Amino acid sequence: MSVSATPGDAGQAVVIGAILRRGADPAEIARGEYRIRLHLTQLQSLLGYGDRVDRFAVATTSTQAIGDAQARINAAAFGFRAHRSRDIAVETSATFAVVSRFHRAIGVITIVASAIFLLCIMLLKVDERRRDVAALRLMGISGGTIVKGVVLEATAIAVLGSVVGVAFGALTSWIVNLHYQSVYRSPVRFSIVTGDVVLLAVSLSLTLGVIAGWLAARRLVRTPALALFGR
Amino acid sequence: MLLTLAAASLLRHRARTLLAILGVAVSAGMLLDMVMLSSGMRESFRSLLVSQGFQLRISPKGTLPFDTEATIRDGDSIVTLLRGMTDVMAVSPVLGGQLHIPVANGAVATSALGIIPSVEGDYELVGGRQLARANEMVANDALLRALGRAVGDTVHAGSGYDSQLRSLAGERVLHIVGRARFVYMASEQKGAAVPITTLRDMQGRGDDKPVSLMMVRLAPDQDVEAARARIERLFPRVTVISTAEALQQVDERLSYFRQLAVILGAVSLVVGFLLVTTLVTVSVNERIGEIAVMRAIGVHRWRVVAQIVTEAGAMMLAATPLGLALGLITARYLNSILARFPGVPERIDFFLFQPRSAWTALALLAVSGVLAAVYPSWRSASLPIATTLRQEAVG
Repeated sequence: MSVSATPGDAGQAVVIGAILRRGADPAEIARGEYRIRLHLTQLQSLLGYGDRVDRFAVATTSTQAIGDAQARINAAAFGFRAHRSRDIAVETSATFAVVSRFHRAIGVITIVASAIFLLCIMLLKVDERRRDVAALRLMGISGGTIVKGVVLEATAIAVLGSVVGVAFGALTSWIVNLHYQSVYRSPVRFSIVTGDVVLLAVSLSLTLGVIAGWLAARRLVRTPALALFGR
Repeated sequence: MLLTLAAASLLRHRARTLLAILGVAVSAGMLLDMVMLSSGMRESFRSLLVSQGFQLRISPKGTLPFDTEATIRDGDSIVTLLRGMTDVMAVSPVLGGQLHIPVANGAVATSALGIIPSVEGDYELVGGRQLARANEMVANDALLRALGRAVGDTVHAGSGYDSQLRSLAGERVLHIVGRARFVYMASEQKGAAVPITTLRDMQGRGDDKPVSLMMVRLAPDQDVEAARARIERLFPRVTVISTAEALQQVDERLSYFRQLAVILGAVSLVVGFLLVTTLVTVSVNERIGEIAVMRAIGVHRWRVVAQIVTEAGAMMLAATPLGLALGLITARYLNSILARFPGVPERIDFFLFQPRSAWTALALLAVSGVLAAVYPSWRSASLPIATTLRQEAVG
């Protein structure tokens, strides 16, 4: 086929030598543009660039030599600058740093909502046991023991909920990846369930569950036993 | 009577009611945010595009405006032909580039636009005056801060570097005549505008007469789509984009946020629904005997249902203002995070408050609240009266 820098120009004939697959580069996911790779000299000639290039990639002999090479290039350079690949990666991933901050903020809101929801459920769950608790109190069981029992129950529910939640999260993450990888035709992994994330979620769920159980139980044992019976 | 009973029932369990209101308020706030996110971005971008009154944008074939460094060669002849069309009111050609301005400890690089001052639609002057002569420049605050200069000062600027001669390429002395706010630039992006002929000369492309983008303002009541198709047919080297098409492109690029908004909005709605369902179910179960007595003394089944639905409605109503306030505060915070997206114009709001968004969120919440209350209340009101009373009496 023929390629040219300006629509309508005769251009130059090229042979398609291979088909490229998109790399796992998050910076490219929202860009649906077509891409081709040509020999540098052919592209320079097509664009009328002479021997101009946009950038050089320089490989150093060792990682220790990077700083020295960068300093020497910059000392000699005029009109261009050498940057470490690491710094460029940080600079170009600014978009994802923003998305990540946004996700964290949404996460905090979700945690607040979950905490209230959990507290509500625990309150209702413990409230349902008013008569049982009243009977236990009248039998002489101490408030501390009752609170411990309820907290233990809340912990068991939180552990069970955490296990189900982690499984649900892993499944959701798999679906998210499947969906967005097909939407953006990219091998980028959009959602990753890491050990840290699981640990955070489980710790939060356990802490919230135990606190909610304790608060609800404390409220119940402070109410006189007969009042719990509705007398 | 109905309201008194509903209020008494809610006040009987204050802590529970308070928590439920708080839970629903958080759900309502989140729902409002997500409704604002799903529609706000698009609306904000649409107002940005139409704010300068140009309906069509012409860019090099196959590209979006300023998405690549491609330019349209001999753009002036296209501009002349376009201006000759009866339905075209104005054409504003723009050339993009970079300027490098030496300062004490190096050089400041800035985005530069080459424009025709009489028809430009890229910036609003906030100080000084419009460009009038060739070697004049207007700059935004970010650039003036970086340079430590002000309106009235003079700078040396080049369009690039000549590494062999170790000097600025296309160097000019530019006089800063105005302070401007660039409509399509990001908040911290440094920007300047010079006459298009000046920028072309600085780039050494005066003969090619390149243009990066042309903005076209049509005469009133013209069919935008017909004009777009006609211009694209006439000039095969260009792509003509209408506001509707530009919005479609933005939709595609920012589809992630729309989908996120839909998912999180749905989750908020479900959480609110579940919370109300749970509370109403438990509350109804606790009052089975009371409901059976009401039915036994002749209170109609629908009246019982109405009382419980009123309770759920009251909770929703109490949670609404709190949710609205929470939603607006969090939207402001989330917007401040997303505003730092590199390259997003300063004026774009991801969370744009529109009364319609608030009404949509409230209507969705109200419907879910009512639905959450209907089933448990109907079930309890339909229980056999005698059996229920006996069970409650025996315990």
